[in-house]
Amino acid sequence: MNWFGFILAQCLNALSQASILFFIACGLTLIFGIMRIVNFAHGVIFMLGAYVGYTANVVTGSFLVSLIVAPIVVGLVGMAFEWTLLRHLYGRRDGGAYLLLIFGLAVVLSEVIRLIWGVQPLGTGIPDFLRGIVIILDQPFPLYRLFLIGLGVAAAIAIWQFLERTRAGLLIRAVSQNSEMVHALGTDVDMVRTGVFGFGCALAALGGVLATPLVTAFLGMGTSVVIDAFVIVIIGGMGSFLGSIIGSVLVAFVQVMGAYYFQDLALAFMYLLMLFVLIIRPGGLLGKED
Amino acid sequence: MTTKDRYRVKAITRRSVLEATLAGSALVAAPALLRHAAAQQGPIKIGIPTVITGGYAILGSQVMRTCRLVKKMTDAKGGVIGRPIEFLFQDTQGDPAMCVRKCQELIERDNCRILTGVIVSSEAAAMLPKLEEWNAVFLSHGNGDGRLTAELFVPRFFRANTSAPMGARALALYLKDAPEKKFIAIASDAAWGRSSNAAFEEQIKAVGKELADKIYAPVANKDYSTYITKILQSGAQGCYVALQGDEARAFYSQAAQYGLAQRVQFFTEIVAQADIKVLGKDSLGLVGSSRYAVTYDIPENRAFVSAFQAEYKNEIPDWSDGEIYQALMILFAAIEKAKSAEPMKIVEAMEGLEVTSVKGPVLMRKCDHQGENQGFVVKVAKNDKFADPVGDIIKIYPREMTTPDCRSASFRNR
Repeated sequence: MNWFGFILAQCLNALSQASILFFIACGLTLIFGIMRIVNFAHGVIFMLGAYVGYTANVVTGSFLVSLIVAPIVVGLVGMAFEWTLLRHLYGRRDGGAYLLLIFGLAVVLSEVIRLIWGVQPLGTGIPDFLRGIVIILDQPFPLYRLFLIGLGVAAAIAIWQFLERTRAGLLIRAVSQNSEMVHALGTDVDMVRTGVFGFGCALAALGGVLATPLVTAFLGMGTSVVIDAFVIVIIGGMGSFLGSIIGSVLVAFVQVMGAYYFQDLALAFMYLLMLFVLIIRPGGLLGKED
Repeated sequence: MTTKDRYRVKAITRRSVLEATLAGSALVAAPALLRHAAAQQGPIKIGIPTVITGGYAILGSQVMRTCRLVKKMTDAKGGVIGRPIEFLFQDTQGDPAMCVRKCQELIERDNCRILTGVIVSSEAAAMLPKLEEWNAVFLSHGNGDGRLTAELFVPRFFRANTSAPMGARALALYLKDAPEKKFIAIASDAAWGRSSNAAFEEQIKAVGKELADKIYAPVANKDYSTYITKILQSGAQGCYVALQGDEARAFYSQAAQYGLAQRVQFFTEIVAQADIKVLGKDSLGLVGSSRYAVTYDIPENRAFVSAFQAEYKNEIPDWSDGEIYQALMILFAAIEKAKSAEPMKIVEAMEGLEVTSVKGPVLMRKCDHQGENQGFVVKVAKNDKFADPVGDIIKIYPREMTTPDCRSASFRNR
């Protein structure tokens, strides 16, 4: 056995898994950072992305087109939800109203998906140019997973640059720190919130499209993923973009290595990691303690 | 009437006490008797506590569609013992506690004492201790956990379907003469998966082959890359797969991306049409035990497939469709034999009952209520009669060889 090749293969497995987790966790943390609400419907939005992506793929015959269409469609759905329903609750102090509304969104979206696409699982496979394996130190590794790693890294850099170097990114960071001050300076804070909610949903949808060739699109596909995403956000720090990257990589590595060496305890390791981080830093690795 | 008459206490006689007791009893018992009489004449109610929402919803949808087809076919023939049948569907979400609650509702609210269509083995296991209290009979159509007819046996439970140990047994018999010598097994970390893996381990060792490792993937696991790496590293030539539904599709999709099928031959305990449909060409060549083989060429199966495809626009019946159809045919035969839909009369009639259905002859043996089914081994291939690839039968094993010892999941005496 080529030990180095094996370790490298496991690292690549973890990074490809981290890539999908990043898309969903990043959206979740951005929405929390700017709106201070936990989007429990994020898993269903991830699933909606997978189904819309499937339809786009079938209609256009192009996987790449589905990668663009699904985030746009689902992002618009998210913006419409925020604009028509969610924003009316901003003035209220009780968190229960948000919770009920978002839970309602998750239930309604699940049923809408069931009614439109049915209960049968759907899959389109991966495009021919992403099929095949690459041999890395005697270990076969799928081309598609390398594509996932590349796309995840590119998206992380792009979002980071967007948040740090653009005026829109500056506004998002400002709203997340002091929305009243930003509003007093003449910026339409509601519009920023609508945009960020839509963007977070679009990222989750992109994760859904990318996950479809791995798991197929099926009802309930977002349930376990969203739990992982919540753990990532808690580990990284609620609202921290960089924290969501670190959290995704940590969780993916713990899952992959745990599944190999301690298969009976693989799930427990993820929660132990979360517990460990919370004991050391209650606000998460890069989060603030409110 | 004088004041004296008005306040005179009438003597209580034995006759008046008896009259009052009889009148009271009649008043109390009337609704129950009327209900009982109505139950004897109205439709035969069959409770289907199945998974309508959640991870196993596809299996529940298959159960429900075949129940609807069976109702149509049976009612057209004049029903069972001259009574129409009525299916009452409840959503258990695959959760044992929820399943017990939904069954309780079926029993108390609908007075429904015949239960079938349960998807998850742990749900079935949770129901067994309650059957006596519910005065109900429960017929499994697809629960695989070997313990249900072994250490968990209760007299009111029957299993019409091929269990996990039976599926593993048929496959092990096939593998006895296969070129592969070294195997690795991967299963869902659930009651069914563990039961299936344990049976495969016992069987494959009994035929002189090596089992390199056993892997248990968490329920609803989505990323199999680690396990695929482990399978590649094991040096095994064959991989036994006891995963189904979402887990099976995720595993096979990812295995295809790693080119695993070119290095290792897959053998599975259940070949599912829903998975084949989604996996497409990635499923070709898969060898597995099949609980129901759509290609089994006997008149009973041809008639079922034809009726199914006419009803559901050329959809191909899956194993769950075939198994629930067979279970219902056995149930109806028992009701006809008992000339009653009373649970205990059904129990008596079903013991030792032999029915020929879509899987050939099935004997509901008396000792543990396990249905003795033939064992089918199939290979997924394209077939001119169907739109998608299907499992072509490559071997059929007689039921005496594939059914475990009585009240056991083991085959030591077979």
